[in-house]
Amino acid sequence: MFPGSLMMGAKDRLLPLSVPYRFFATAVVFHIAAWLVLALAGPDLSMGFRGGQGWVLAGLHLVTLGTLAMTAMGAGIQLLPVSTRRQLGPVWACRLVYWLFAPGVALFAVGLGLPMAGLQHAGATLSIAGMAVFGGLVAGNLRKVDDLPGVTRHAWMAVASLVLLAGLGLLLVIDFTSGILPDHGAIAAAHAVLAGYGFMGMLALGFATVLIPMFILGPAVADAPIRRSALFSGLGLAAGTLGAAFALPLVAAAGIALGLVGLGLYLRAMQPCMKNRMKKRLEPFFRLVWVALVLLPLGLLVALALTLGAPADPWGTLWGFLLVFGWLLSFVTALLQRIMPFLASMHSSSLGGKPALLSHLAPKLPVDIHLACHSAALVLIGLGIVGGWAWPVRLGLYAGLAGSIAFGVFAYLVFRRYRSHMKAAAAAANQGD
Amino acid sequence: MNTQTGALLHQAHMTTIEALQSLEEFLGANRKPPQVDDLVARRMKQLSRTLRSEVESHFGFEENHLFKAFVEQGETGIVTMLTHEHRSILPLAIQVADLALAAAEGGSFSESAWTEFKDAGSELIEREIFHIQKEEMGLIAAISALIDPEADQELADIYRREVG
Repeated sequence: MFPGSLMMGAKDRLLPLSVPYRFFATAVVFHIAAWLVLALAGPDLSMGFRGGQGWVLAGLHLVTLGTLAMTAMGAGIQLLPVSTRRQLGPVWACRLVYWLFAPGVALFAVGLGLPMAGLQHAGATLSIAGMAVFGGLVAGNLRKVDDLPGVTRHAWMAVASLVLLAGLGLLLVIDFTSGILPDHGAIAAAHAVLAGYGFMGMLALGFATVLIPMFILGPAVADAPIRRSALFSGLGLAAGTLGAAFALPLVAAAGIALGLVGLGLYLRAMQPCMKNRMKKRLEPFFRLVWVALVLLPLGLLVALALTLGAPADPWGTLWGFLLVFGWLLSFVTALLQRIMPFLASMHSSSLGGKPALLSHLAPKLPVDIHLACHSAALVLIGLGIVGGWAWPVRLGLYAGLAGSIAFGVFAYLVFRRYRSHMKAAAAAANQGD
Repeated sequence: MNTQTGALLHQAHMTTIEALQSLEEFLGANRKPPQVDDLVARRMKQLSRTLRSEVESHFGFEENHLFKAFVEQGETGIVTMLTHEHRSILPLAIQVADLALAAAEGGSFSESAWTEFKDAGSELIEREIFHIQKEEMGLIAAISALIDPEADQELADIYRREVG
């Protein structure tokens, strides 16, 4: 296996477009639902959030499970077999992941919001079943690969984190009604660390080593520095999780420091690829990637301050906000913005004729509006949390909602334009017969 | 990219990308037909040569020699995809190359020629860059995995002979 082999065999391993797209479309819908729920909950609830059932926790899980994990699954089932050049598993299993996970997330969010234990348990069971099938597919694929370590090391850590975060998540849900955990908050923090930095973070960084060189026409990322980065990140994740779970601030601080070193090594490993790229002008989706890459270390620094004694109000809320909305949501919407038209274009020549142009598939205005609104939401809500001011948080929630709607329009237009292209291609093919 | 053939193809891609980025700047800077002075005429001639070399010699080498080696290794998917793309890029590139050469030799772009040049040029930039992305990340990376050193030497010799 050789690094940077994403396109090789891509044609043979492309899933039917409807399979990854159902994940992406659902992620876009949950993205809107999340901001709507948070906006309706209002700034007081969001600012004062320290855990516990209700609509803020529901909104948070609509983002984490509904948008972030949903996108990761959709992208994973398509990108992993192409980048590892090994089959992921039968298509029905990928569809099963969706049919377990999507309704599971919806039920779980409603169950958290109302709150209703029965819905929470049903939703959590379905979601975890979906994650288990996904984790099994990914692990089965990774077991066959021994020559693409850049992606696989990160992906293995993501799978391990997925297992642990699902287990802790289940315990947290049971604890709402049965009170089995000695420290609900500490376990919730460990669950967040595993979800944000473990499952999502590792997948994002792993896939970026393949996707970024492809999109910017840069040289393949060297394996040795990525291996070192993965080692530090993995140690940091383990220490951070243990420190959070057992309320050991010094262990957590050591984990954060290791994570920062891992991130530094990762960025240094990516630098030659950026510097020596053939495509000098970066595409618009990079604007969100930069936002994400600035807010990832910023969130870690806020977490470090927390472990060193900074008060949980407001720094704990700010850490969670930077992790979920700053780093991950920015990165995932950047990825969606690029990968949805990219996949549609890859499929668009299947009936013969020219492949659809990316610029024809992807409208520019909605993503510009999304970028402006998303950035405004990050700044306003971040400031509101730090300053304890309700009005910027309220404005930020509205900006986030507007941005998510703009993103929904973008996704809808990409799909509609793809359908139009395919209809025209089918008509041309019929005429040719 | 540690094969001679891969290095040669990569070098050709670098030249093409450079030409396409220069074309993109040129199109972006001129809403109306630009004056074709000596400098612009030289740029247009260079663009025409680069495009013709890319789609005639470079595509020809890939289809007649390299892709055959890939098909022998059972890698038919990427060969079908790239060949299909060659079919959509080739007429577009020839159209842009001919318009660029005509403007250089005639000393101007007419309104209609400029509109045609701009539309075809924009489409070519997008299609060709997407195509090169696929070749850089798939084809060139795969050469070292699928082609042995002797075959690589042979292919590189053919490339130097036929493409230059």
